[in-house]
Amino acid sequence: MLDFIDAQFLVSVTVILIVIHVILLTVAYLIYLERKISAYIQDRIGPNRVGPLGLLQPIADGLKFMLKEDYRPTGADKILFTMAPLIIIVPALIGWAVIPWGGYWVTPEFDLPLLGTIESQTVLVAAANVNIGVIYLLAIAAMGVYGVTLGGWASNNKYSFFGGLRASAGMISYEIPLGIAILTILLTAGSVHPQRLIEIQSYEGWYILAHPIAALTFFVCILAEANRAPFDNAEAEQELVGGYHTEYSSMRFALFFLAEYAHMITSSAFLILLFFGGYHLPLIGLTHPESTGLLAVLAKCSVFFFKVLLIISFQMVIRWTVPRIRWDQVMKLAWNDLIPISIAIIVTTSVFVYVGWTAWWQMLLMNLAVGAVILAIMPLLPKLEINKRIPLAGSRFNPLPGEQVRTMATGLAAQDDAPGAEGDATRRSQRVSDIQPTLR
Amino acid sequence: MAIRDDEIIRIDAPPMKRGERVYIPELAKGMVVTMRHFFTSFGQGRTSRTIQYPEERREQKSVEDGGQLAQNFRGVHRLNRDEEGRVKCVACMMCPTICPANCIHIVAAESPWDDREKYPAKFEIDELRCIFCGMCEEACPVDAIELTTEYDVIGLTRQEMVFDKEKLLSIYDVTIDKKPM
Repeated sequence: MLDFIDAQFLVSVTVILIVIHVILLTVAYLIYLERKISAYIQDRIGPNRVGPLGLLQPIADGLKFMLKEDYRPTGADKILFTMAPLIIIVPALIGWAVIPWGGYWVTPEFDLPLLGTIESQTVLVAAANVNIGVIYLLAIAAMGVYGVTLGGWASNNKYSFFGGLRASAGMISYEIPLGIAILTILLTAGSVHPQRLIEIQSYEGWYILAHPIAALTFFVCILAEANRAPFDNAEAEQELVGGYHTEYSSMRFALFFLAEYAHMITSSAFLILLFFGGYHLPLIGLTHPESTGLLAVLAKCSVFFFKVLLIISFQMVIRWTVPRIRWDQVMKLAWNDLIPISIAIIVTTSVFVYVGWTAWWQMLLMNLAVGAVILAIMPLLPKLEINKRIPLAGSRFNPLPGEQVRTMATGLAAQDDAPGAEGDATRRSQRVSDIQPTLR
Repeated sequence: MAIRDDEIIRIDAPPMKRGERVYIPELAKGMVVTMRHFFTSFGQGRTSRTIQYPEERREQKSVEDGGQLAQNFRGVHRLNRDEEGRVKCVACMMCPTICPANCIHIVAAESPWDDREKYPAKFEIDELRCIFCGMCEEACPVDAIELTTEYDVIGLTRQEMVFDKEKLLSIYDVTIDKKPM
């Protein structure tokens, strides 16, 4: 009856139980880390009052969130308003299910009460051993935006709605270069199994060496996907008050906040899986996929986690360095720069894979060549017209000599078009001509 | 009056160099700046600008380091005493007249002393309404009201923060050494 309980099942359950708690705790302390990093960058000190070095600050924050009034504005969609924080946090938390934190582990044979003997087996230290794990991650990562969009829409607030719209538009734009960057890796590796990707990288060199441009594209895209600065236009404080979570308070807001950081962990783990060799460290035999002891598994887990923390710290330093990009610039960056570049990379990569030049230095040379070509043709491209100037002469702010301008309320024509105000055509045209400046 | 095209001074952003258009070198430069600040101010290091308030106070620092300039600082009020320890105020009503926040309330009475006609029977300043502009100090003809360097005044109720004559005179007794008249 309990046949399905084997070593892999037990390991998966253990990993789920450990990782979900570790991630939630890490998320709380990432907020502390971000506050500290930003404080030091801005020559401040940061939280240092609650507990030693302010280390209990996340707990105080959590308590405060729970004690706040849970407010729902009138006119908000009751169901969606409550569901949106859940919809955003679930994808952020289930994304890591396929991340192979510890690689393979040859379990010892042992006895359990009720279940009998658990046989020795080679198990994958991950929540799920899915052989299309990368596709799963790609799908889950894109689902987080539903929570943002629905939260913005359900709030019954224009600013929130704009934030939600921006998030969905950004997701649509940045999913394309993200997918193409992943495709570049999959073409080279020939596998979508996360564990297999790490094995290939440990033998043939990390893919950051072979595909630096794809790695850069991928990094920019995960910043945009996680709504992190410089792409946090969905919650732009200066323009949209607070963006999609303007109307949220209490634990519902806390869930949005947690989801942002959980999303950062998941996407950073994704980046490390694809480009930074997962748990593998060169020259350290314990982290090589071939070592399958318990000690090796623990070492691999810590290495993976440490790499995730490094990437997240890098994202935080980026956030406090780079000013927010204007929304049209965000769109231009995706459609004018990232997508053409990633298409160029994938075309050349597929040619190289077809010919068989898949060593890391060949790929690196190819990347450098593509980068040089991009830099060479960049000045030749037609420049976008920015800061367009409209001459003042002839406009109603600046009449020509002898020109008489009657400034009237501009709403007259619009009033005639309003329902229930059916003016006859001549009267309407007269009024419209009244507004036009008349030359004498 | 309408604006003419020839009246407009146009200031263009300087054209971007090649390295600036690529953006990544400039990004790296910015990261160098932020990381320099990170490491120099780490753990309240050299460039850290924070004054940890209850333990460190502005009075302890020099003016160059962001300390308090005692002559110019506008803190809580005091009522000065003359040589005989009487209140200096003559209840001329200049300060309540000029006060932009309407926080000074004086009830004048006939003076029990020979050298002046009036004296304040009641003198109340609502420290919660006060905006600490220092105009009362400037208006006072006899230098009776002054702002001190004390800034951490607290109270648990609003009524507590309405300082009466005795309280203001006691502030004079406390702060006369710190800020001589």
